[in-house]
Amino acid sequence: MNLFLRYVPLCLLAYLFWVLLRRKAYRTCPCFFIYVAFGVAAGLARFAAHNYHGSYFATYWITEAGYDVLGILVMYEVLRAALGNLTRSPWGRLIFPAVLVAGIGLSFARAQAAPPQAVGMPSYIVIGEIAVRFVQVLIFAGLVTLVPILGLRWRQYSFGIATGFGVYATIALLTTTKYSDFGTRFKLLWGWTSLVAYSLAVLIWIWFFSVPEKNETPGSKLSAPSPGVLKEYKNALRRMR
Amino acid sequence: MFSLIFTWLIIAWGTLACIYMLRCAWTRFPRRDLDDVVHFLHPVDLSLAESLLDPATDFALRWNSTPRAYREATRRRMRLYLELVRRMSHNSRVLIEYGNAIMRRECPSDDLMESPHEKSAAAALASELQHAAISVRLYALLVMARLRLRLWFPLDAIGALPALQLAQLRIAGEVDGPKSYDELKATAAAAFDQLQPADLPVLVRNM
Repeated sequence: MNLFLRYVPLCLLAYLFWVLLRRKAYRTCPCFFIYVAFGVAAGLARFAAHNYHGSYFATYWITEAGYDVLGILVMYEVLRAALGNLTRSPWGRLIFPAVLVAGIGLSFARAQAAPPQAVGMPSYIVIGEIAVRFVQVLIFAGLVTLVPILGLRWRQYSFGIATGFGVYATIALLTTTKYSDFGTRFKLLWGWTSLVAYSLAVLIWIWFFSVPEKNETPGSKLSAPSPGVLKEYKNALRRMR
Repeated sequence: MFSLIFTWLIIAWGTLACIYMLRCAWTRFPRRDLDDVVHFLHPVDLSLAESLLDPATDFALRWNSTPRAYREATRRRMRLYLELVRRMSHNSRVLIEYGNAIMRRECPSDDLMESPHEKSAAAALASELQHAAISVRLYALLVMARLRLRLWFPLDAIGALPALQLAQLRIAGEVDGPKSYDELKATAAAAFDQLQPADLPVLVRNM
């Protein structure tokens, strides 16, 4: 694959990093900001090491593991931001662990059915990566389902982050599943599809972060209120009448 | 095998979500203008809802009827309450979109990030309205699911489940349905009183 095309996502990530800095996104979405900063640093490290096979191998797998961990943290941040106080209720706290367990379980089941080609530590990183993709698709699809049901506003940063990850993860899962069916003939297409899908995800993030979030005022965030808060303002309203 | 089925189901769900988001971005949907709210509301008779949820009415009905007649009457009352809850849900959805429209009007420019703690009165009202509407919507969703299941699968007729008492549906998801709808009405009236006083009488009539 052409070296320039391989590093298109890095250029887009660098632009996204600048957009995030301009929007001061490190205040509202710190984990995502760290993820993008890590992405830029990882891309540069891979670029610097691409002529040295051993170094590139180590850099690649270490950065992949970093992407996995940060991917999970970002999805937790997204869920907290979108569902607001609901994640603090007793059953709300179980949402993320349940999704995580489902993702890990499905990833291990998949690894049993079609073992990854990598051996040793990289194979665990691949399993972790697939688990992260499951988590990303589940959280994205779950949040999007809430838009028509609860009438949530979709044009918010948390939905933007989830959409980018969701689109990329859906395509990645699809290509990975098909890859195991077609074998190595699919390898080149898989590489291209992943590249295009990740670039698309970065473009989605740039688009969402290109305008400021409209409900920055405290309390105006359209997220589900906690039962305690609901009770509080209901009492206040009752007293007013 | 199961993992493959689940994988494909998750991929399909993710794909549908992508298509929905694409549609949202393309058509800017859902969106409702400030002027087309009141005519989309459906009247909800809260006194009727209260009478349906009254345990005394249910008790009297059970006492004065045969089990078969009681089951039939309960199903009729369930359908009636389902219609009321559906209207509550619809109205709360319309008011959430109305709140979104106020937000868009109040924060149209790019300078919003500069003053995150300044909150206009209209935005505060919209925020309150949305919170109240979301609690009604949550209640309505839970109750509608429960009622639909009971209406589709009348397991009480064969004695597999006890007959549903409508009084049990007053609270769902820690939200008192009629009370929260009443509060939504009050919040909507307060918002319209400040923002669109001309439409207030129609709002009161249509909610």
